Amino acid sequence: MNGEVQGIGLGLRHDLATELLERRPASVAWLEVHPENYLNRGGRYQEMLELARTHWPVVTHGLSTCLGSPDPFDTAYLHDLGAFLRDLEVPWHSEHLCLGGVDDRFFHDLLPLPFTDEAAEVAAQRLIKARDAIGRPLALENVSYYAPQATDGLAEVDFVVEVLERADAALLLDVNNIYVNSKNFGFDPRAFVDKIPTERVVQVHVAGHLVREDGLRIDTHGEPVPDDVYQLLDYTLRKVGPVPVLLERDNNVPPLDELLAEIDTLWTIYRNAMGARDAV
Amino acid sequence: MLSDRAKAMQRVCFGTEPSEADLAFLGSRERWLVYRDLVRSRLMHVASVALRRTKSAVGDDTFGRTVDEWLGAGGPRTRYLRHVPNELAELAISVWRATEPPWVADLARYEIATWEVRHAPPDPKSFDDLAFDRKPTVRSAMRVLRLSHPVHETPTPETGYDREQTLLCVYRDQAHQAATRKLNPLAADLLEAWQKADETIAESVERIAAQHHTEIGPAFVEKLSALIAEFVLGAHGPSR
Repeated sequence: MNGEVQGIGLGLRHDLATELLERRPASVAWLEVHPENYLNRGGRYQEMLELARTHWPVVTHGLSTCLGSPDPFDTAYLHDLGAFLRDLEVPWHSEHLCLGGVDDRFFHDLLPLPFTDEAAEVAAQRLIKARDAIGRPLALENVSYYAPQATDGLAEVDFVVEVLERADAALLLDVNNIYVNSKNFGFDPRAFVDKIPTERVVQVHVAGHLVREDGLRIDTHGEPVPDDVYQLLDYTLRKVGPVPVLLERDNNVPPLDELLAEIDTLWTIYRNAMGARDAV
Repeated sequence: MLSDRAKAMQRVCFGTEPSEADLAFLGSRERWLVYRDLVRSRLMHVASVALRRTKSAVGDDTFGRTVDEWLGAGGPRTRYLRHVPNELAELAISVWRATEPPWVADLARYEIATWEVRHAPPDPKSFDDLAFDRKPTVRSAMRVLRLSHPVHETPTPETGYDREQTLLCVYRDQAHQAATRKLNPLAADLLEAWQKADETIAESVERIAAQHHTEIGPAFVEKLSALIAEFVLGAHGPSR
C-alpha cells in the first residue's frame, strides 16, 4: 500500500521492527525508512520493508545524498535511489541540509555547513539536481550542529530559508534540531519557527537528545522526547497545520510500548493543535 | 571556500591526529573534536559489531590502532554503513596477517564473510528452471571460504586454533541469519565454479569430478542434488 501520509508516524528501525510488524499498532499511521538501509540488501531488511509496505504508507529519508557537498553527485546511486523511490511510490523524499562527505569519502554523520552564500548556492543547486534525478519532490531537513559558525543563532534559519527559496524546495522541519541548536547557541526556538515559510513544510521530525555533563546537547535520537520539544512541536503545528509528524528513535531503542506512549502524546498534541487552528 | 572547509573537516575527523591548524581554521577546537569523536565512534561501533570475535582476539588497543590506520587513509569510501567493516577488513586482514597469530586473519575473513551474507543483495529475480546443459544461477548470499584454521568452531580456544585446512560455505539461511556448512574439497570446487558461472552445470560437474578422481555414481548424484537444491536457484544462458 502507499496511502496518504498523515498524522503520526514512526521510523522503521531494525531493533523495533519485529514487534512493530507483529502488533501493527493502529496509532502508528505511517512509517519512514532510510533508503541506504534497504538498497541492494536482501534478508531481514528486505522482508521488513515488504511487510511494512503491506500495512502502512511509507516515506523515505536519506542519509547520504549530502546536499551540501562540493563533490559531483554519484549518478549511479541517484539512479538506484530514484528506482527505489518509484517502486515504493513515496510522495516525497527528504535529505539533510549538511555536509555528509568530501572527495568520495563519507562521514556517516551530519556535519554542518557554514551559513554562507556559497554554501546556500551549492546546496540549492544540488537539491535541484537530485530532485530532477529522482523524479519526485525532495524536502531538505534542518540539522543539529555543535560547532559554532561565523554567524550563529537565527542566521541558521535565514540560511535554511535561503536554500528553500533558491531551490523552490519543500522542508522537513525537525523541531528537536531547532531546540538543540537553540540551547547550544542561545536563541529563541519559536523565533526560528516564526521565520519558516509554513507553506513549504511537508513533514515534521521530533526526537529526544542527549545532554552532556558540559551542557552540550547532542541529537542522538536515543532518548525520550523532552517536554520542551513537545511544547515546541505544539507551537509549530499550530502554525504549519496538519503535516505528518515522525517520531525518530534510532538508538537505545526502548520496548515498543514506551514508544507508543510517546506516539499517543504526539497524537494529543497534534489533535489539540489542529483543533486550535480550526477554532481560529 | 566550502571545499577547503570540507577537506579540513575530513582531516579532523579521519586523521590520526587532527592538526591545530585545521581546528583553528574550522573555528572551534573543542566542538570539532566532538565531531571527530561522533564520527569515529559510529564507525568503530559497526566495525566492532561485525568483527566481534576478531576484536576480542587482537585486543581493543590493536583493533583501535588498525581502525585509526584505516581511517587515516581518508575515511570510508562507501555510503552504506553496513559496508564499512568490509572496507576496514581489506586493510586490517593484511595487517593482522603480518602481526598477529596466523589464525587471526582467518577469523577476520570468516567474520566478514558472515557479515557479508547477512547483508548481501537479494537473490536474482530473473532466471529459468534448472537445466544441466545451461549455466547455473546461484544464491547471492553465499561465500566459499578456504581457511587454514577451523575458526568457525566456537568458543575461540584460549591458545588459539591449530592449523587445519578448512573449507566452509557461509550463507544466509531462511531465518536471514548467517549459517556455516563445512565442505569437502569437491563441493567447494563445485560451489566456486557455479558462482563463476563460466560453464554449464554438467560441464563443471564432469570437470571437477574428474579432477578429484571421483566416479559419478548414485552416492555422488545424491550429494550433488542436495548441493544444487540448497544453493542453485536455476539456470541462465543458452543450452550447450
